[in-house]
Amino acid sequence: MEVTRSLKRRSPWLTRSVSSLAGAAMFVAPLLALVAIWAIVVPLFDINPRVFPSVGAVGAAAMDSIRDGTLLAHVGASLLRVGLGTLIGIITAVPLGIAMGVSPTVAAFLTPLFRFFSVLAGIAWIPIATLWFGYGFGAIVFVIFNAVFFVVAYNTLLGVKTIPHTLRNAASSLGAGRWALLTEVLLPGALPNIVTGVRTGLGFAWRGLIAAEMIATNVGLGYMLFVARDFYRTEVIVFGMIVIGVLWLLIDRLLLVPLERATIERWGMVRRA
Amino acid sequence: MKTLSLKNLAKTYFDPYAGSHVNAVHDVSIDVEQGEFVSVVGPSGCGKTTILNMIAGFIPYTGGEILLDGKPVRGPGPERGVVFQSFALFPWKTVLDNVGFGPKMRGVPKAERDRIAREYLALAGLSHAAHRYPNELSGGMQQRVGVVRALANNPDVLLMDEPFASVDAQTRMTLQEELTRIWQERKPTVLFITHDVAEAVFLANRVVVLSKGRVLDQIEIDLPRPRVWDDLVKDDRFKQLSARVLQMVRAA
Amino acid sequence: MNVLLQFWSGYARMTRRWPALAAIVPFIPVVALWSAVAAAGIFPRAFFPGPVDVVNSFFTLIYKGILPDYLGDSLIRLFTGAAVGMALGIPLGVLIGTSRWAHRVCWPILLFFQAIGDIAWLPILLIWFGFGLTTMTFVIVYTVLFPVVLNAVLGVESVPRDLARAARSLGASPARVLWEVTLPGALPNIITGLRNGLGYGWRALIAVEMIVGTSGIGFMMFDARRAGSTVEILLGMIILGLLWYIVDAWILAPLERATGQRWGLVTS
Repeated sequence: MEVTRSLKRRSPWLTRSVSSLAGAAMFVAPLLALVAIWAIVVPLFDINPRVFPSVGAVGAAAMDSIRDGTLLAHVGASLLRVGLGTLIGIITAVPLGIAMGVSPTVAAFLTPLFRFFSVLAGIAWIPIATLWFGYGFGAIVFVIFNAVFFVVAYNTLLGVKTIPHTLRNAASSLGAGRWALLTEVLLPGALPNIVTGVRTGLGFAWRGLIAAEMIATNVGLGYMLFVARDFYRTEVIVFGMIVIGVLWLLIDRLLLVPLERATIERWGMVRRA
Repeated sequence: MKTLSLKNLAKTYFDPYAGSHVNAVHDVSIDVEQGEFVSVVGPSGCGKTTILNMIAGFIPYTGGEILLDGKPVRGPGPERGVVFQSFALFPWKTVLDNVGFGPKMRGVPKAERDRIAREYLALAGLSHAAHRYPNELSGGMQQRVGVVRALANNPDVLLMDEPFASVDAQTRMTLQEELTRIWQERKPTVLFITHDVAEAVFLANRVVVLSKGRVLDQIEIDLPRPRVWDDLVKDDRFKQLSARVLQMVRAA
Repeated sequence: MNVLLQFWSGYARMTRRWPALAAIVPFIPVVALWSAVAAAGIFPRAFFPGPVDVVNSFFTLIYKGILPDYLGDSLIRLFTGAAVGMALGIPLGVLIGTSRWAHRVCWPILLFFQAIGDIAWLPILLIWFGFGLTTMTFVIVYTVLFPVVLNAVLGVESVPRDLARAARSLGASPARVLWEVTLPGALPNIITGLRNGLGYGWRALIAVEMIVGTSGIGFMMFDARRAGSTVEILLGMIILGLLWYIVDAWILAPLERATGQRWGLVTS
């Protein structure tokens, strides 16, 4: 399978970009159709704007929030929290995961522990995080951090565990020292798992972010939605949902999925959903 | 007489990479008489698997006719049993249920189809594996199941698509001998696709050599049966026939 | 060193005989460390209670009947949501996996709605349905639905073409092929989807119970937060972790293995 795929003839740059453009159009068309249905249905059945907004109202809400800078403030706050929490999470989790995974006995011992904590990761920490750090930035970053940390550490551990021992032996017999073993074998070998871990962890973190922002702050996308609810401003809510969806799609499809593809599929490793 | 006949069979498809129409098969005419074992041999890309897929009804043909017992075939059907190179056993069914699948589709009650399945498993020496899952068997055993699964459905013609290409050499020889034995016992009509010249000659009454989507030649194989490799490797007639077919395939 | 090794080999033998031990023993040092830190009084006790406090509160809450009630509520919500999510997700996934047109139309919409995420629906759901079971169930269904659908599609597409062909040439009608080949072939993926979906659903449920809840483990934790009772928050977290650990490690993962591995469909 891998072989035939890589042997498949590569189309030249131009046809490829044309076909990817066509692909993008195919992707957007059903979504546009959905918007069209929305634009028709809401006035047709005269739906109360307190139940569901019209396309125009959402557009106006979008323009307003862009013009007065609130959208930028909310999105900026959310992205900063996610970015910071994720960064700290990855930086701490990967070395720890590798260190734990190096010895099979230690790995076997610690696996249930990390499984337990990766199960808890994210939202379940909101109450205690707000207690420890108070409502606000610290608590939310902590929730994001631990959503990413435990999942990435657990996956790194798994990744190192699954590197065939022959690979380590091969590297050692080729003269690799401890450092080289780490950078040349363990890190790249665990990378597909690490990337998968980051993708899963970020998925949890993103949800955790929205939830935490509804509960524990006064700026951010989750807060924007939740406050709008108090005033029955459905157009702001729907606009916020669209922003959340688009942002996640961009993060996932433009950053995480290509990263996963680049490591996992390229190296012919097993892919799971 | 249940005769399978291909009349001026052709297949054209559009190749998006080349940007043009490609003739995978053109003007192939082959007749397979009832109880005959015909091998189709040719280099890869000669269209032999395409032909089999058209007979099986997996892909439509674009020209000519495929007649079974005088009637044109359309789409897959139980009167044409298929043995796949990939085995294509249902991983979630036991060996017994795999072999009983055809009868089940005909609405045969459970007890009766188990009896049928056991009878056919015995034929291939697989009675002990009835309750195993395909994944738990070796490649050779899996393909034995594949063969008897097709046979248990009592097809008019058995289509075999390089069935032994993915098992190891020793097992392949054993499977070939078993197939000739089963053929002698049951006399099914067989169309056997392969790229292995020795295999084609060993098994068949007649070998059809295919090249670039056309029939190059047809050679009667008048070797006596039962055929076993220990004898045939020393047999001059076998060597002679194999050499002739091989020459044609290589020149193709 | 020698003593340690002997200890280790004893542990290894014990865990081979009772595999459950391997899932329990690693927690002993964690709990020990936790009680040591708590006992050392580095943090105020109200802020960082020890294991004994948590166990005490566990028994108190059980005695009062609060915990069983809340736990029951959470589990019923989760399983109702999961059941509805599966009932909707599997047919939809099979449809999208088998029909090119359905795939083209539904796939982008699915990805987009998945990206919005369950919790972001909460404000508008609260407007539509108010604070209640409908809102919670909707969120759980939403969470479970997408992983099930996406994995079902993947599963259907991963069924080897030859299997469907084999079934057809053995006399199966297209409907029988769906039942005998497509569904069982996609089953391991569907279970993986359910596993992922419940993982998300579990978290969503906690979030929803915190924000809208009047009962449930999430509500208990958040209520404890308001009262400043760290003990009950920790208790809630431990219960959540344990429950999910049990469901995942002892039910879902074995189920996934049983279908995937015996059939030889899943390699990892």
